[in-house]
Amino acid sequence: MMRRIAASAALTMLVAAPLRLEAHHSAVMFDDQKEITVEGTVKEFQYTNPHSWLLVDVTDKDGKVTTWGFEAEGPNTLLRNGVRPADLKFGTKVTITGHPMKDGRPGALWMKAVRDDGKEFWPGGRPRAAAAQ
Amino acid sequence: MAIRHVALFGLLTLAGASSVFAQANRQSPEEFRRMLAMGTKYRTATEFYAALKAAAPGQGRQMPAFNQLPDWSGLWTAGGGGNFFSPGPGGSAPKLTPQAAAALKDGQSNEKNGIEYDENLSQCGPPGYPRWLVIPFLREFIVRPEETWLTSETVNNVRRVYTDGRDHPPVEERYPLYYGDSIGFWDGQKLVIHTNQLMERSMGRNQPTQSEKMETVEIWQNVNPTTVKADVWLFDPELYTEPWYVQRLYTKVPNEDKSLRIRYWSCNENPNNDVVKTPDGSTNYKDFQFDDKPKEPAK
Repeated sequence: MMRRIAASAALTMLVAAPLRLEAHHSAVMFDDQKEITVEGTVKEFQYTNPHSWLLVDVTDKDGKVTTWGFEAEGPNTLLRNGVRPADLKFGTKVTITGHPMKDGRPGALWMKAVRDDGKEFWPGGRPRAAAAQ
Repeated sequence: MAIRHVALFGLLTLAGASSVFAQANRQSPEEFRRMLAMGTKYRTATEFYAALKAAAPGQGRQMPAFNQLPDWSGLWTAGGGGNFFSPGPGGSAPKLTPQAAAALKDGQSNEKNGIEYDENLSQCGPPGYPRWLVIPFLREFIVRPEETWLTSETVNNVRRVYTDGRDHPPVEERYPLYYGDSIGFWDGQKLVIHTNQLMERSMGRNQPTQSEKMETVEIWQNVNPTTVKADVWLFDPELYTEPWYVQRLYTKVPNEDKSLRIRYWSCNENPNNDVVKTPDGSTNYKDFQFDDKPKEPAK
């Protein structure tokens, strides 16, 4: 099931501003004023330089499967932020949030993923507000 | 339209395009002006370097023993961003040539309009030097009496600094290089470097282009055991009408369990990172290949 979150300006400011990931990206192909959250299963974790991609299969209400790609930084940045390749294996259920592509393709800048056991993964580092919780 | 490769570090310069060196803010305006004036006394980087060498113990000709060198082992990093054109502490701005000022204005306009493309990094080219100073990610500094390697994991780049007393190659053998030719000497615990033979390249996304006349002088030293600073003077008469000065700080990365390692970095390894230059001069991903059949996990 996929659910979209319409980003209000206030929500974006609250959630996106503290993210280091944002400070590290031009975001020209991503819309940093919007967020999207999808639920799906991990198809593949491409743990590569200079970008990594977490591919997530998302099934809509009609049963159609779309593969979404969530882009993050490379392996050493992910490791430093506690995102290991074995953490998100094929078939793992995740709820993942990111800034979507401006052109509408199923891609996004990965902000946060929550595994079905509740463990959170912030590839750009946890924002201060979340880290304090 | 040519297919390009996206380079994460290429994107990183956006934040820096409108910001000063974060580390530079830690300097007082007085200290910044003093350091800037060290370089502006000289017409060329060669003259500046020669003066520093002449003033060093033994006129910079003594190669120290290994155990006399600073311990720069481990992994180091710097925050991404920063550029070579923003004002320093206290508001001192670089004195730019008309063409550099125009290029900077154009870049600022592009940035304001969300137009960004990196002719170097989007094609998986190396960042080159001095842009190397501002790229993020992990670094290693390999120090030996006769040679120091200043490395970054980004596209596996290595700056070799020869401290064995050799000079730059003779003029007849020189040609433009991504990282230039670097020679240096040790002044106690300070590594002094002169770099020339640099290539004409963009100094960052939406930043002016350095010329082949670019030369630099650097002084590297510890601020404390976990911080190394590089004071850098840039001489390029096609960019600056006076030498400009920046400071970078590199901090040691905690790695108690030694899990972090620098590994081979291939910018081309993932086709999902291919990008194209859009008609308006910006960047977009080319094709996603997310619909290939899933890979089964390794047994």
